[in-house]
Amino acid sequence: MLGRWRTLRRRGVLGLNGRNREYVMRLNDRSKFPLVDDKLTTKRLALEVGLAVPDLYGAVRFQGELAHLDRLLQGRDSFVIKPAHGSGGDGVLVISERRNELFVKTDGRTLPLADIEYFVSTILSGVHSLGGIPDAAMIEYCVHPSPLFAAISYRGVPDIRLLIYRGIPAMAMVRLPTRASDGKANLHQGAVGVGISLAYGITGHGVLKDNVISEHPDYGSRLTGYRIPDWEELLTIGARCADLTGLGYCGVDLVLDEDKGPMMLEINARPGLAIQIANRCGLEQRLGQIDALGTLPEAVDDRVRLARTLDADQEPPAIRDSAGPAPEPPPAVEEVPAAASAAAD
Amino acid sequence: MPFFARLSPLAIIVLLLAGTGLGLTLLKATRDKVPLLPESTSAVWTVEARIGFRGEGGSTRVEFQLPIERSMERVIDENFVSRGYGLSILDVGTRPRDAIWTLRRTPAKDQALYYQAKVVAGPVSTNTEVPPFPPVPDYKEPLASAIGAVLKQAREQSADVFSFTEQTLRILADPDDENVKVIRNVTNRPSWEHLVAEILAGARIPTRIAYGVPLERPQTDQRLVPWLEVHNGNEWRGYDANTGVPGYPENFFIWRYDSPDLLRTRGVSGADVSFSTTETRIASTDLEKLTGSGYAPAPFGINLTRLPVGVQNIYHVVLMLPLGGLVVAFLRVVVGVPTFGTFMPILIALAFRETQLGWGVALFLTLVLVGLALRLMLAQLRLLLVPRLASILVVVVCLMLAITLLSFHLGIEQGLSIALFPMVILTMTIERMSIVWEERGLGQTITETMGTLVVAICGFFVMNEPHLSHLMFYFPELLLVVLAATLLLGAYSGYRLTELTRFAALARER
Repeated sequence: MLGRWRTLRRRGVLGLNGRNREYVMRLNDRSKFPLVDDKLTTKRLALEVGLAVPDLYGAVRFQGELAHLDRLLQGRDSFVIKPAHGSGGDGVLVISERRNELFVKTDGRTLPLADIEYFVSTILSGVHSLGGIPDAAMIEYCVHPSPLFAAISYRGVPDIRLLIYRGIPAMAMVRLPTRASDGKANLHQGAVGVGISLAYGITGHGVLKDNVISEHPDYGSRLTGYRIPDWEELLTIGARCADLTGLGYCGVDLVLDEDKGPMMLEINARPGLAIQIANRCGLEQRLGQIDALGTLPEAVDDRVRLARTLDADQEPPAIRDSAGPAPEPPPAVEEVPAAASAAAD
Repeated sequence: MPFFARLSPLAIIVLLLAGTGLGLTLLKATRDKVPLLPESTSAVWTVEARIGFRGEGGSTRVEFQLPIERSMERVIDENFVSRGYGLSILDVGTRPRDAIWTLRRTPAKDQALYYQAKVVAGPVSTNTEVPPFPPVPDYKEPLASAIGAVLKQAREQSADVFSFTEQTLRILADPDDENVKVIRNVTNRPSWEHLVAEILAGARIPTRIAYGVPLERPQTDQRLVPWLEVHNGNEWRGYDANTGVPGYPENFFIWRYDSPDLLRTRGVSGADVSFSTTETRIASTDLEKLTGSGYAPAPFGINLTRLPVGVQNIYHVVLMLPLGGLVVAFLRVVVGVPTFGTFMPILIALAFRETQLGWGVALFLTLVLVGLALRLMLAQLRLLLVPRLASILVVVVCLMLAITLLSFHLGIEQGLSIALFPMVILTMTIERMSIVWEERGLGQTITETMGTLVVAICGFFVMNEPHLSHLMFYFPELLLVVLAATLLLGAYSGYRLTELTRFAALARER
């Protein structure tokens, strides 16, 4: 037991207590929490600085507004309903098409309008919000996932989680829905998290219920070697999102839409720790590297470049899609002091 | 230590708190000889008489009869709480003392005066004076023949006064006996003991009724209990008038004989005496010095044994709550047990104190399972959250009532104590459970329920540990140490034990 404790410490694995005390409490000002806890506010902030987010079709704040729900949904064939204060993907309803008077969920089951109204009213009463305070329900654009991950995600929309530490991307993973997670991309609901090398944007191994896996549990297809397009841009968006909130330690969730490109879904002030298992790398190790640098670059481009350089000492993973372009080598930056590579070991 | 980094300002506070708490405790233990272990103490019962009345605006005089001289031998300390009243003790020598409270202008509202006696646990001692034989009472028919028949039967089956008494009481305990039915129909006597005394007088056996307080477990707002005593020419002996078993209730403290009336008042209305008892423990060595006369020394620091008894009984429980909180904090932060709600397990553990562990767990699981089943049925009705919670609360209370009634009919006493379960908290738990079930599946629900139970059981063992309970009550300064420990836990940023398993993948490979 003590042996494992030491091993985990040596590898810089971050625990929940450590995360809360050393990072969340120290770097995330409580007054900033409402910005990310309320997804309507996050969305507004993102739109103000011109970051792409899924279109908001409407929000329901009071039970009385439920009567207008059908008008709100008119002409919308696919949409997502979620609580503005939800967490961990609870209370999210994804409607992928409409058939006559019925709404079709991603798993193929159909719901009448009355069921949707009840679902929204449950959200309004605050079941999914922290502390049960009354909540608002958001109805927004349903992302059409890029076909990139079609072979390794079971329905639903895979999303990319970037962990941003003091403005610098520190770790990344893509979260793939499974049959068990009911098309949702949340790890505790049974989705698979797959680590992404920051330097190359290529997927590595995955994590399912805290175990390392290399194949998708539903399809058995290999998870490794997928190359994420526009990786640099995704990292840039992630870093800008973190700036938006002023949180020093946060998780940014991005999606790749087939038509509209990368979009920001939400920001999390207490991102989970399974990302370490997916990347098979202790988080504290990465965060320590960043802390060891002393002063950090301010420009977004520099920060992204720094993030990729810090990760570059690892072997570039083999690419699965041989037809695709070779991985861009991480840019060499002169500004990165020698301390960075010293801290790496 | 790496995970206690950034500790320094906290370290000072923790050291100060723990140092003060432990220092005061040690000082109290060494200088004032307050025992640290319950084993080196003896039970002393505090008997508190509360004299409640309503003033009428004018002058007031309340005379309260204190315990008889024989009983005062067991009293090591007494204490009057007068609240501005003038107090004098009338001690005539031959008869029990009277406490007399007077006030010239009594406000016309509810008043309370208290008398506390600290009584050493021990057997009843009775005086030796020989009473005269009582005259045979003049019974009316059909009572006379019924009593005559009972006495005749008892006489045939006995040899002396005591065996005669036992036989009589045994016959009277049989509800199917025709004579007993007649006798039990008499209802105009103050108590069954009085009727029995009257029957025994038919055989010219001297009896008296002792009024006293049984000291078995802490109680509040009790009346004096009547108890039958029989004299055989040499000595008095107590009898349970209902069963015929000789003896007294445990540690019976006799206040007076023949009448429960202790009060004579002037200028007040609604005067009434009620008795509360609590067990305290003092060092056995002190007790030897104190028995007979004198007062217990007031130990330095916080001394809860001087508080009104009802309050003391509450603090016996309240002072254990911080320890429960410490257990929860430890199990969540250091071990990483998942639970429903933060302090829910502690409230459950408190309920377990009354129900006993096995029963408590069974009752908790029954309530939660049936409640959950009903909650899942309610889901079909699509109710709004707060009314839904309220309806689950109603269902939970109905369930508790059902369990109570059922166990009452089956004669299972533990089932009655279910009323102590924290209903509102339980309701919220059932609601949370159903949501966890819907969102995260059955596995997670079971994990968290088990986690809650594990924490509750640990809390139960800690809060029920007699040594800890003794320490917390007699050394409340230890709360500072508990506070220091929780602060320290709050600064813990190391792994939770469950994380060692969770991150096993990161420790193994590479």
